[in-house]
Amino acid sequence: MWDKLKDILLKVQKPARYVGGEYNLPDMDKPCQERVCLCFSDKYEVGMSNIGTRILYHMLNDMPDIVCERCYAPDIDMANELRKNNLPLFSLETKRDIKSFDIVGFSVQFELQFTNIVYMLDLMGMPYYAKDRGEEFPPVVAGGPCVVNPMPFAPFFDAILIGEGEKNLKEIVLLHKECKQNKISKKEFLERASKLDGVYVPSLHNPTKRAVLEDLDKAYFPTKILVPNCEIVHDRSTIELFRGCANGCRFCQAGFYYRPIRERKVDTLVKYACELMDNTGYDELSLSSLSTSDYSGLKELVAKIKVEADKRKVKLALPSLRLDSFEAEIYEDMQGASLTFAPEAGTQRLRDVINKNIKESDILSSLTAALKYGVKNVKLYFITGLPTETDEDLQGIVDIVKLVKDLHYKYGKSKLLNIVVSTSVFIPKPLTPFQWEPQISLEEMYRKQDFLKENLRIKNVKYSWHDAKASVIEAVLARGDQSIAKAVVKAYELGCIFDSWSENFDYDKWIKAFEESGVDYNKFLKGFEEDEELPWDIIDNGVRKEYLLKERHLAIEGKTTPNCIGKCNGCGANKFARCFE
Amino acid sequence: MIILKHLKVDDISYVSQKDVLRVLQRGLKRAKIDVKYSQGYIPHMLTYTSTPVPLGVQSLAEYFAVECSEKDKDEFLRKYNMSMPKGMRAVASYYKEKNPNIAAIVKASDYTVKYDSKLPKEIEDIAKMQSYVIKTSKKGEIIEKNIAPMLYSLKVSDNELSMRLASGNINLRCDSVIEHINEKFCLNIKINDIYRTAQLVESEDGFCDVEEVLK
Repeated sequence: MWDKLKDILLKVQKPARYVGGEYNLPDMDKPCQERVCLCFSDKYEVGMSNIGTRILYHMLNDMPDIVCERCYAPDIDMANELRKNNLPLFSLETKRDIKSFDIVGFSVQFELQFTNIVYMLDLMGMPYYAKDRGEEFPPVVAGGPCVVNPMPFAPFFDAILIGEGEKNLKEIVLLHKECKQNKISKKEFLERASKLDGVYVPSLHNPTKRAVLEDLDKAYFPTKILVPNCEIVHDRSTIELFRGCANGCRFCQAGFYYRPIRERKVDTLVKYACELMDNTGYDELSLSSLSTSDYSGLKELVAKIKVEADKRKVKLALPSLRLDSFEAEIYEDMQGASLTFAPEAGTQRLRDVINKNIKESDILSSLTAALKYGVKNVKLYFITGLPTETDEDLQGIVDIVKLVKDLHYKYGKSKLLNIVVSTSVFIPKPLTPFQWEPQISLEEMYRKQDFLKENLRIKNVKYSWHDAKASVIEAVLARGDQSIAKAVVKAYELGCIFDSWSENFDYDKWIKAFEESGVDYNKFLKGFEEDEELPWDIIDNGVRKEYLLKERHLAIEGKTTPNCIGKCNGCGANKFARCFE
Repeated sequence: MIILKHLKVDDISYVSQKDVLRVLQRGLKRAKIDVKYSQGYIPHMLTYTSTPVPLGVQSLAEYFAVECSEKDKDEFLRKYNMSMPKGMRAVASYYKEKNPNIAAIVKASDYTVKYDSKLPKEIEDIAKMQSYVIKTSKKGEIIEKNIAPMLYSLKVSDNELSMRLASGNINLRCDSVIEHINEKFCLNIKINDIYRTAQLVESEDGFCDVEEVLK
């Protein structure tokens, strides 16, 4: 294989993506009874940046008798070369045919990656649908954030791992190892797998409860991680502070899905940070979570890590800061840095509807502090098309931008202030209080974007917007049922791949794919009835449906729910693990 | 200043020069070598590399120099090798007070390439010509280039080809030469089978290995 690859590697762009050989590569030659391949349905640069698959890859390799390899979606030029030379998709580490692995896992990160699953299965030489893959093919399983509603891609997989891979991936791999030793059939293996926590087997359609780690502080976390030889998207080491989010923004799927909230201890994190810096040589370290400023020990953590980072000439990055708890002192030595805020909606009324608990005064005080410290770039994120939104709310976005300009004029330390406003289009996602809501029409999306384009023609303000057409397809793929799978295959056959890369996205082909496969996609854009059975109801993600419904009604009334740090709101996720000490 | 001679083989031969520099610098950090930084707005490590080999070509003689507080060249080599990917292992190290500026003083490189069968002796004739024009691509465009002044020698022995080509400011790419030979003699020599074996500086009687200067 390696000999044949030599011929084609110099014909493709960035061949370093296909050869592996990264620093800290686990031992691939150890005695092994179960060989796993983790696939990521996007390019190397994206996949290597993903902390979830990174954790699982090293976790499996640290287990005795188990070897785990990787495979990323090859770029189009590489795929063409593979086809031309009759070569199957191969693993990065030992250049093995993926079909020869004992178990193959896919990470499904977001909806616009669905066609890439089919693309990769095609390049592997495997039938797309699990029902067409006999005993000669290894079981193919999926995990990742998209499993909140696995139905649209469920027919491609033998099993879907709902919840945290540290638990269910580990268990299913061990189960398969045992089944393999005892020569148990794939069918029987899947029967047994369906009894594990957080394993949904589409052919059995078994009700599934999400697998959740009880104690994150004691959970596996790798610090001897792969350091790539070429540039990747997030080229730095990352520590994960906590899982879950206490805020309950009503549009946010991650905020509900990753509950309950579980933190790592400050000392554990400092230890991980030091080990990571020493083992990788990265010059940047980032603190990651859904809402880093809500971490209970943030001040202590940043103080402790900063000392260690300075010693090693490593820069500290703090993403995902929520506006309300932004602390200027953290930014003291970050003059000229850029600052990202996500008020999400332009008026207080709408922010109450979506439960983004930020007051106008919070925005004012945080920004003033930041500007006084010399912040030169401010990025503002908003969502358009939220339930109950009117033009007044859009005008609110314009008003906030003007307010920032005024504040800079009054208090700004830097001469110039660049403001970037980005809007995305609201997608009513499963497992949120807005899961029953419709998505606004394409025409309405364009009208709202035009309104902002017109009104944000202000000096030093740049407005960028998310492709409306992509948001429509994303909504269908997020909310669909099993019928969507055949449209995904059709879309792939029509040439849709790497849909999340805007240059590849083709709306017309998608619409054609829905029509030709007989899928009424409008059904999933319209709202759902409250008493209707939803495609993802068979998955118990923790948060109760009644709770989501209650939140929906509060939203319509414009009433907020406080975050659950002080007091439990009773969403139901604490049945898996205790939220707070 | 420490100067390292290192390999660029196997997987690493497919890593571009820009990325190689990053791999080197991360390695120095992991090795906890106290490297000096520039004094600019965005400080960067003071490291210097030699003229790179084309992507896909392997090398047994790459050099890079590091401004650092470490004076013990053997200790440097030991620390470095413990924190680098296998394909970039160092094979020798030197200590110099002043930066020898390898990229500027190197004028030629030696390459060898093995083929899976006997190579035609006629290949050697290319180096005997007064003028020899080949087609090669530069930034996506096909250009004609007279390589005779930059091609110092070509030797065939059985299935092995050795060449000495201009390297540095005036540079002849070894992959262009091999591609031309492949086309002219209907061969299929793989670019990845080319090894750079030495980098050379000018001396009284022609060329000598750059290592002589570093010793």
